[in-house]
Amino acid sequence: MSAPSLLRAPAGAHPLRPRAASLVVAAALLLAGCAGGGAAAGPTEAAPSPGADDGYPVTVDNCGTEVTLEAPPERIVTVKSSTTELVLALGAADRLVGAAFLDGPFPPDLAEAGADVPILSERAPSAEVVLAAEPDLVFAGWESHFAADTIGDRAELADLGVATYVAPAACQGDGYRPDPLTFDDVFAHVLEAGELLGAREEAAALVEEQRAALAEVEPSTAGLTALWYSSGSDTPFVGGGSGAPQMIMDAVGLENIAADIDAGWGSIGWETVAAAEPDVVVLVDSAWNTAEHKIEVLESNPVTAALPAVAEGRYLVVEFAATEAGVRNVDAVASLAQQLAEVPLP
Amino acid sequence: MTTVRVPPAASAARTGVVARPRGSRVPWLLVGLAVLVVSLLLALVVGPASVAGPAPITPGDVLASAWHHVSAWLAERGLPVAVAENPLSRVRDAIIWEGRAPRAVAAVLVGAGLALCGVVLQAATRNPLADPYLLGISSGAALGAVAVLVLGVAVPLPVAAFAGAVLALLATLGLAGIGGRLTATRAVLAGVAVGQAAAAGVSFVIFSTAQGDSYRDILGWLMGTFGAVSWSSVLIAAVAVVVLGGALLGFGRTLDAFSFGDVAATALGVHVVRTRWLLLVLSALLTGALVSVSGAIGFVGLTVPHVVRLLLGPGRSGNAAVARTSAAVGGVFLLWADTVARTAFAPLDVPVGVLTALLGAPVFAILLMRSRRRGEA
Amino acid sequence: MTLLATDLTAEGLGYRVDGLELLRGASLHLRAGTVTGLLGPNGSGKSTLLRVVVGALPASAGTLAVTEDGLAHDLTAMRRRDRAQRLALVEQDAHAEVPLRVRDVVALGRIPHERRFGAADGAADAVVHEAIERAGVADLADRSFDTLSGGERQRVQLARALAQQPRVLLLDEPTNHLDLAAQLDMVRLVREVADAGVAVLVALHDLAQAASLCDEVVVLRGGEVAAVGEPVAVLSPALLAEVWRVRGEWVTGERGRALVVSPL
Repeated sequence: MSAPSLLRAPAGAHPLRPRAASLVVAAALLLAGCAGGGAAAGPTEAAPSPGADDGYPVTVDNCGTEVTLEAPPERIVTVKSSTTELVLALGAADRLVGAAFLDGPFPPDLAEAGADVPILSERAPSAEVVLAAEPDLVFAGWESHFAADTIGDRAELADLGVATYVAPAACQGDGYRPDPLTFDDVFAHVLEAGELLGAREEAAALVEEQRAALAEVEPSTAGLTALWYSSGSDTPFVGGGSGAPQMIMDAVGLENIAADIDAGWGSIGWETVAAAEPDVVVLVDSAWNTAEHKIEVLESNPVTAALPAVAEGRYLVVEFAATEAGVRNVDAVASLAQQLAEVPLP
Repeated sequence: MTTVRVPPAASAARTGVVARPRGSRVPWLLVGLAVLVVSLLLALVVGPASVAGPAPITPGDVLASAWHHVSAWLAERGLPVAVAENPLSRVRDAIIWEGRAPRAVAAVLVGAGLALCGVVLQAATRNPLADPYLLGISSGAALGAVAVLVLGVAVPLPVAAFAGAVLALLATLGLAGIGGRLTATRAVLAGVAVGQAAAAGVSFVIFSTAQGDSYRDILGWLMGTFGAVSWSSVLIAAVAVVVLGGALLGFGRTLDAFSFGDVAATALGVHVVRTRWLLLVLSALLTGALVSVSGAIGFVGLTVPHVVRLLLGPGRSGNAAVARTSAAVGGVFLLWADTVARTAFAPLDVPVGVLTALLGAPVFAILLMRSRRRGEA
Repeated sequence: MTLLATDLTAEGLGYRVDGLELLRGASLHLRAGTVTGLLGPNGSGKSTLLRVVVGALPASAGTLAVTEDGLAHDLTAMRRRDRAQRLALVEQDAHAEVPLRVRDVVALGRIPHERRFGAADGAADAVVHEAIERAGVADLADRSFDTLSGGERQRVQLARALAQQPRVLLLDEPTNHLDLAAQLDMVRLVREVADAGVAVLVALHDLAQAASLCDEVVVLRGGEVAAVGEPVAVLSPALLAEVWRVRGEWVTGERGRALVVSPL
């Protein structure tokens, strides 16, 4: 059940034996494809090692764990939509052997590419399910996926020859948590993913495309305030000041009423919401908690029902999968900006 | 030869003892009411909307708004009162009168009810660790809540929670009553069994079905929160507390009879099995109603009776006094706890159950230390 | 208010649980103003019998009645409250961890006489006071029950039983945890209670004590009544040898006849 040993384990695990190592280098040289452009900019290192001109081996510091790939991964398993869609967008659909715990359907432009990707699990997958697909890289959307009781401890997986990579925006540790998350971070993460996957060119192109699309969006200058309402009815779970919701709202030109929550998301009281009297409400739409449901909650709660935004239905809708750092954030910005333009404001 | 029974008057005259001397009568009732009123007023004027933003809601605003509503109500009934203007906008008025006010009243009611249930259950099962959720009630209610919040069953949340609580109660009583008398021990054990089963069900549903961030909803409910309390839930709680709680308060003396066990209670004329059933059912219904309003707030029912017994001392530890006092203390305590929960960590709104749990631990530690000291005497 | 002379009659009482018959065909007659001793080795059913009589255990056979002023009343058909107004039980030492004040423990005895939702009865205080005095626990009245010694707890329980103003008093081995002086005190108290007109049934371990205290004794063995009658007649050497496997000898001394027991 072991994956091809083209990888070096992270610090702390046993190194490959010298003879095997030289075989590995030779194999890597043989299998290496065209190298992409220069090294990725951004908070993590990706050092092209001497002797290989395809960018491999690639080493990155991922949430405090050193991850090194000797060659492009051929059997990728992704967890969560953000990472899956990133892999698809980088043109590596043929190397994607399994996806788990998706948050919703793929966006139209990736639907075809993702149509044949095997879905390993509807919910957070177990170790067995993931390992049965014999991956050489598991690309997870949340750091918590790599625990002993979920997919497995990162060091142990590395011992099995399975590299693990967490979406950098989801790192929780000090110094790794993006605070605040910016589009520069998101694009840097895309480029780093490109490094790892051996899709440097695709990554660069994608980032270019997204930067351009982002530049086209004119943030609103009307100084409107907004509530980013993700879930919860007793106490709403809302977008806070340092994560993707804030990043998106900044780009749209909305002021987040919960910006002083020093986290990506947080639970606040309805009183706080009502006191801030947001001009619009951004509703996160998901299969398990629809925008309609949230509207119902807002309208049935006497404290919020009195808000002009609720009374007049000034709602903007964004899909859940687009609210985690990934390739859909820019689309979300564009969509929200357009919706904002169409919302009747006083 | 002396007689055991003599006419009371003659006895009193002979021994010179009149009724037991009462100490200085602190008007506890008045003190309690005063504390309650002050706490409610405080809860009304305190909150995130009163500190943050460009135009915080001041206590003066609250009073003026109150007078506006009162004067409007009086004027409607034809009284010659000038209707005062409301300094608060519609939204801010709602913050106070649809948000803070029902929340404060609900906190008092739920705290009083839970503490009362705690007293009753601790006496009826002769188990000092009994709490209102003893009979698997909170787990049953949680199962109902999870059905709505996670599985999306289209039933109002309070109804589902209450239904879950009642089902758990029936299961517990059924299990405890099967093939034997309903003794205290059997009731407790059955409650543990049903509670664990329901809790397992809750965990399973959350684990296998919850997606994205939907677990936040159920987490808040499981900890207990007053976040979405409206006047209609206050009504539910009020009816439950007044009707069921009132009935329970009448059992004070009967609870005392349980002090020395079932045999002694029977010898004092109490129908032990029937009374125990009745007490358990009434407490469970009351608890179920309260849990459906606020989720399962822990530690109030468990610790307030002990604290009150400590405060009252052995001299006034009859269950009637403990029950009344616990209701009062529980109500005020939960009101303060909720006020702190929604203001101290602003803008975060912490579930009040988190705070009560935090406070429960040191309380128990203190109780333990005191009992050890006494035990070594 | 004078004491209604009350007799208690049990005929063929039986108690069965889990297929085991702990009591079978027990009959006895308690007369007002007398002390009847309930004797027997461990496991003979003394506690069971007392509990069946007071109603804590349901009789599976037999009848129980009290006769007041010549009228018989079926105890099992009576409301529990009414039964508790007539019968009181002092259990073997149990439940020490009750943090109530002694005075309040004694006051528990008034429960059968109280109205459910009524105001406290003023006369109750006097009865409680009287009971405390009679049982000799006046100096303990304001202490907490869980700080008392075993013997003190027994006396408080007796006070509580007295506060019930019972016509029939049942005691389950009341001298168990008492030192000698306290035992004699308890015996004297029981005698006084009976002399006041109460019908007393007391389970005892100490045969010599029973011999001196009781007007009549009922000997239980294996859940059945083995003998009934005056101590002198019942506690014969033959019975003592058979039921208790001890040697017994009646000796005549200054205070009348006493039973001396020694190993076989």
